[in-house]
Amino acid sequence: MSDHPVTIKAVHPPLPERLRELVASDLGSYVLAVVLIVLPLLVSGSWMFAIGVCFANAIGVLAVSFLVRYGGEVSIGHAFFAAVGAYSVAILDTRFGLSLLVSVPLALVLGVVTGVAFAWPSRKLSGIYLAVSTMALALAVPELINNTDALTGGYEGLYVSKPLIPGLPMSFQRYYVALAVLIAVVFALARFRHSRQGLTILLSKAHPAAADAFGTRQVWARCAVLGISGGIAALCGAMLAFAGSTVSPSGFTLWSSIFLLVGSVVSFYGLTLARALIGGAFLTLVPQFLSASGAWIPVFYGLALLGMILLGHYLPRLKEMMARHGGTA
Amino acid sequence: MMDVATKSLTGQGIALSFGGIEVLKGLDVEFRAGEITGLIGPNGAGKTSLFNCLTGAYHPQKGAISYAGHSLEGLPPAARAQKGIVRSFQHVALSPDLTVLENVMIGVARNYHSGWLHAFLPTVRGRHEKAEMRADAERALAELGLAKAADKMPSELPPGMLRLVEIARAIVGRPAVLMLDEPAAGLNNSETRDLMRSLSALASPDLVMVVVEHDMDLVMSICDRIYVLNFGAFVACGTPAEVRSNEEVVRIYLGSDDD
Ligand SMILES: Nc1ncnc2c1ncn2[C@@H]1O[C@H](COP(=O)(O)OP(=O)(O)OP(=O)(O)O)[C@@H](O)[C@H]1O
Ligand SMILES: [Mg+2]
Repeated sequence: MSDHPVTIKAVHPPLPERLRELVASDLGSYVLAVVLIVLPLLVSGSWMFAIGVCFANAIGVLAVSFLVRYGGEVSIGHAFFAAVGAYSVAILDTRFGLSLLVSVPLALVLGVVTGVAFAWPSRKLSGIYLAVSTMALALAVPELINNTDALTGGYEGLYVSKPLIPGLPMSFQRYYVALAVLIAVVFALARFRHSRQGLTILLSKAHPAAADAFGTRQVWARCAVLGISGGIAALCGAMLAFAGSTVSPSGFTLWSSIFLLVGSVVSFYGLTLARALIGGAFLTLVPQFLSASGAWIPVFYGLALLGMILLGHYLPRLKEMMARHGGTA
Repeated sequence: MMDVATKSLTGQGIALSFGGIEVLKGLDVEFRAGEITGLIGPNGAGKTSLFNCLTGAYHPQKGAISYAGHSLEGLPPAARAQKGIVRSFQHVALSPDLTVLENVMIGVARNYHSGWLHAFLPTVRGRHEKAEMRADAERALAELGLAKAADKMPSELPPGMLRLVEIARAIVGRPAVLMLDEPAAGLNNSETRDLMRSLSALASPDLVMVVVEHDMDLVMSICDRIYVLNFGAFVACGTPAEVRSNEEVVRIYLGSDDD
């Protein structure tokens, strides 16, 4: 599309052009965001609560998908980072009376730090070996929480009740804050894809030696990817605590980690708003839909998973057959 | 002319072996700034291995490597890249997730230093930096006649063009040392001629350029000096005319090609 390539392009394209680029790049996401903003007017309180939790889980799905996309690695331990974020929010709320304004940044920082702290010793591992070592993280969480019950409340957990904006109904805050954080993460990741760091990390995934030869050390790339992924997962935890109102060890088990991975797989590791929501829905909304089916829940859940994966697999071909132009990447 | 000599990339007694097999047998090299040096030799002679030692990808068991008088001992590849020591790969190593232009932008990434905030947020500085990187990459692609391919994915291009993208990525960041590993492999005759012109135009008094190549026409016509490697040892070194008339070289390597 660049018509006159050799002359140096204007460093600051005119504003309308920039706006057009911004909108055109992601029109679907903008429409979806607007729908989600007006949705509380249409659904009942209990659904609003469930969708809020779905937003939080969608952030966790993004954390896992980011690791897959940029690191080429799989995690079955991301509930660890989510727990770091969730307990940052819950402990600052209940023990110190501090709101999200303080606890969310702290959660983000702690998530990044623990992500890097895990990346360093595991820097030489990849594939199934790395995945199994992330599992060690997930297995440690419930024990860690129970052994520090003076702070964490142990089995009983903690109740998060401090509003971000005093005076506004808490049910709306739980929904909208989670949505805002989800959108912010999607937006930041979309910028990251075109950033210098994003480009070099993607080369490092495909050809570590080539990235190295152009100044990007593999260890640096690994630490960066896990740091960012851990930070996003901590934001997921922070929003699970706030939108879900309670935190307890049962929310951060190995199963939670596995379902984050499931959500990432059914969304085909997509980093767009729609993909993240599909992943998040498989953690929150699909089970709720199926809750009427009693003992058959796991079976129907499995079928829904299979259906989604097959749909994702065949949809592009169907689209091609119908000779229509494709949507998001 | 004084500083030209001091800006050379030198190796002394570089010895490399894998599991007891000697791949490089104590090589002394001096790749001078302002010259295009050819490095030729049969398959398996150790040309790529020498590049790997010079860039820090391999750790030779013996020998010293220095650039512009400073030892590169212990420096990992990324740190050598920061000094402007850059190479292209014999086996094209582009990211399949990135467009051609983005792949080439990676070649200038080492010259930019904006922090993480600029990677995630639409800041003025981040935008500025990206625009500069993009302009650099577009210029490098244009120099190699690839302007039209900028927005394509690597999977959409034929091997010859991918090879040129690989070279564009190496030259885009204004390297101090440029090592090209078989840059003409997979190119057709006219592409090779264009490449020769581009490489000759790139030569400058400050640039150390080393070209590993099997295409003798290319090596003989653009190189100022040529090293001939066989079984991990140099058998000759000199101007194209000297190398061409060296009996041993003719025997082991150029025999069928020459006269
Ligand atoms: N990582 C390695 N492990 C073991 N042996 C290696 C390694 N790298 C290179 N070698 C061996 O070193 C020798 C020289 O290989 P090298 O790739 O340097 O040759 P080359 O001159 O570049 O050949 P070509 O023209 O085929 O590219 C070969 O015998 C090769 O098998
Ligand atoms: Mg080779």
